[in-house]
Amino acid sequence: MTEIVKVQGLQKKFGKFQALRDVSFTIKSGEVVGFIGPNGSGKSTTIRTLLGIIRRDSGIAEIFGKDVWKDSLEIHKRISYVPGDVALWENLTGGEIIDLFIKLHGSGNKEKRDYLIKRFELDPKKKAKGYSKGNRQKVGLIAALAVDSDLYIFDEPTSGLDPLMEQVFQEEVEKIKKAGKAILLSSHILSEVERLADKVVIIRQGEIVETGTLDELRHLTRSTVTLVTQGDVANIASLEGVHDFVQTDDQSTFSVDNQHLNKVLLEASKLGVTKFESVPPTLEDLFMRHYES
Amino acid sequence: MKEKFARWDTLFLQYLKRDWKKIIIWILGLGMFSAGFVPAFKEIAKGQGLVGMFETLQNPAMISMVGPTPIETGADYTLGAMYAHEMLLFCGLFAMILSVLHIVGHTRKEEDLGLTELVRSFQIGRQANSLAAFVEVTFINTVLALFISGVMISFGADTISVHGSLLFGASVGIAGIIGAGIALVMAQIMPTSSAATGSTIGIVGLLYIARAGTDVSDVNLSMINPLGWTYLTFPFTDNNWLPIIFAFIFSLVLIFVAFLLEGKRDMGAGYLPQREGRESAKQSLLSVRGLFIKINKGVIISWLIAFVIIGAAYGSIYGDMQTFLESNEMMKQMFSQTGFSIEESFTGTIMMVMISLVSILPIAIVNKLFSEESRLHLSQIYATKVTRSQLYWTSIGLSIVGGLLGVLLASGSLGGTAISVMGDSGEMDIVDFLAAGFNLFPSVLFFIGLAALALGWAPKLGKIVYIYLTFSFLLNYFSGLIDLPEWFLNIAIQSWMPQMPMDNFEASVFLTVTMISFALIVIGFFGYSRRDMNEGA
Repeated sequence: MTEIVKVQGLQKKFGKFQALRDVSFTIKSGEVVGFIGPNGSGKSTTIRTLLGIIRRDSGIAEIFGKDVWKDSLEIHKRISYVPGDVALWENLTGGEIIDLFIKLHGSGNKEKRDYLIKRFELDPKKKAKGYSKGNRQKVGLIAALAVDSDLYIFDEPTSGLDPLMEQVFQEEVEKIKKAGKAILLSSHILSEVERLADKVVIIRQGEIVETGTLDELRHLTRSTVTLVTQGDVANIASLEGVHDFVQTDDQSTFSVDNQHLNKVLLEASKLGVTKFESVPPTLEDLFMRHYES
Repeated sequence: MKEKFARWDTLFLQYLKRDWKKIIIWILGLGMFSAGFVPAFKEIAKGQGLVGMFETLQNPAMISMVGPTPIETGADYTLGAMYAHEMLLFCGLFAMILSVLHIVGHTRKEEDLGLTELVRSFQIGRQANSLAAFVEVTFINTVLALFISGVMISFGADTISVHGSLLFGASVGIAGIIGAGIALVMAQIMPTSSAATGSTIGIVGLLYIARAGTDVSDVNLSMINPLGWTYLTFPFTDNNWLPIIFAFIFSLVLIFVAFLLEGKRDMGAGYLPQREGRESAKQSLLSVRGLFIKINKGVIISWLIAFVIIGAAYGSIYGDMQTFLESNEMMKQMFSQTGFSIEESFTGTIMMVMISLVSILPIAIVNKLFSEESRLHLSQIYATKVTRSQLYWTSIGLSIVGGLLGVLLASGSLGGTAISVMGDSGEMDIVDFLAAGFNLFPSVLFFIGLAALALGWAPKLGKIVYIYLTFSFLLNYFSGLIDLPEWFLNIAIQSWMPQMPMDNFEASVFLTVTMISFALIVIGFFGYSRRDMNEGA
């Protein structure tokens, strides 16, 4: 697996506002990296820097081992991008715009275009001013997916899409992932990231606060456990690593740090377990933990 | 009734609150334009001016532009008659177009933007919004009419009577209301707001052309043209209120039809179906150049047509110049002193004015690149193999071509019309006109350079280029009328250029200004290739 994207210590200021303080992450080929963070945390700024639309103040930013500002042309031959807000020329039709984007990218193919138009159920004959937000987004997605690239950058690609189309998008992304392409997926829809991403990068106020595979991240956090025992379940409450313990009769619900899970199980087995359910933390739990504090 | 119009008054007050700045600019701007030229016309009227102007405006070409006058001899042509004759039709047209834009903006546009949907979810009648917008536009035009009358009366000029001034104001006001009525009907019929605006302006354009024909052939026929009802009132001469009454009834019918149509359609839909577009792009669109031509096409074509019309309008005056000169002893002396014919002198001045207007188009094309950037239209294109230098130089190239075409059409149409109306008496041929026009081309390049500089280093300042252009235009325009110091005149780039055909061509000036302009363009490119793209971030 070769390194496709390498970002290290990226910084960017807009006037006095420090948009990016310290952004570092990598993407390898065949890897889907989920890029999550609240509005205004620097996701789009990072992406625009990677695309050479804006210029970084300091740090390293490379794609395919080339500098994103100096060699942007070489890089752009092999990437696809969908912005979070696809703005289109009102008097052109969706079909015309898709053709234009494909042509400007350089390596598209007609069958793939027609196939995607059908899959996303887009009416390519309609003028862009008649498109809803979701349909505009489809135009951007079709243009980006119809071309051959080695890196795909999606900035909140499914905003405005209905759940069926979200599904189609996810299937298409899985295809390109299987083909060994690298994907940067910035999204608010955490279930989507959870399904597609191998690795998650969490950004807050221009700083990366967490990186790792979902498993690694989960490992660092707590699982939610529901436990019913014959003996007095209250004994569990005082164990190390147990939090938010709630008991109703002989049933208890609590969260437990994953590294202390073993002790809890040992203790529970002494009480005679009749029911044990453990739910791993969702990405949403992870996310919230970073922002609630 | 309640179901239809509930709470329209709330919306109406809301509109006044939202629009008050726009309304003030509208009324002051159009009001001063319509009424404020009385002192300037007094100057023109001095000596033999009135008779001369009367003769000039008898030319069918002029009648087709400004309309007829009921006066039959030059001796009866008063200041008031001339003012109404030259100004009323255009003031009415402006009032109409502003009202059209306003009505569509507040009705169909709001629907397209989804604002109406939100408003309608409250206790608001189905057609309250249209009523509120129409009442607002009526209110604005009424105040405008009174303002115009007031300003005109305040000059206290002879023959600008109180009665005539009131009628002049009312004619401009009713023009606005007719425009609003047509717009409201088209807003119901057309599938989108831009189609509604486009078709209404198209209708106004057709009415204008139709009346140009009937004014020349038979004025009575212009009386069945709604646009005719605005200027055939003949203020200060016939003082005929009848057309205003026609227009008023016509507007009521339009409103009735519009409300009927609106009551029967779904929100967001029109009566004409949305036209289907192309399923895939034509080969000609598939490049940066193709795209830029496509998105600038409307602006380019409409300006080029405007240049041809302006050139023809000025050109048509040439035929009457000799008559004008013979009727005015003083002017005759003035011209014989300079050693140039009146045609040559006029060409020098008018060319400067026209080439200033031609400069608008290239500036607009350069500025378009930034507006595309800030509207996020280019986001996905930046991520392709298209370079910034491609985007920049394509825009610059297109704007230079636009400027060349503009100069060619403006000076060609001026020359062509002038030669045809002068007949055998003319001393100039088409080459003289084209040479006079292209002699000023470096000034167009200079404006492109300024716009390019702004695009590269401070794109938000792109609009300032227009302000400088307006300023230079005014300097050039008034340099003949008022004595201005040399250094002050030189602020305008056009003042650096020799005025052909009176002056000789100066290659050194031509090349210097061209080089400076290209230097500005190159400096702009350095800025553009290294700055952050502005995407509202």
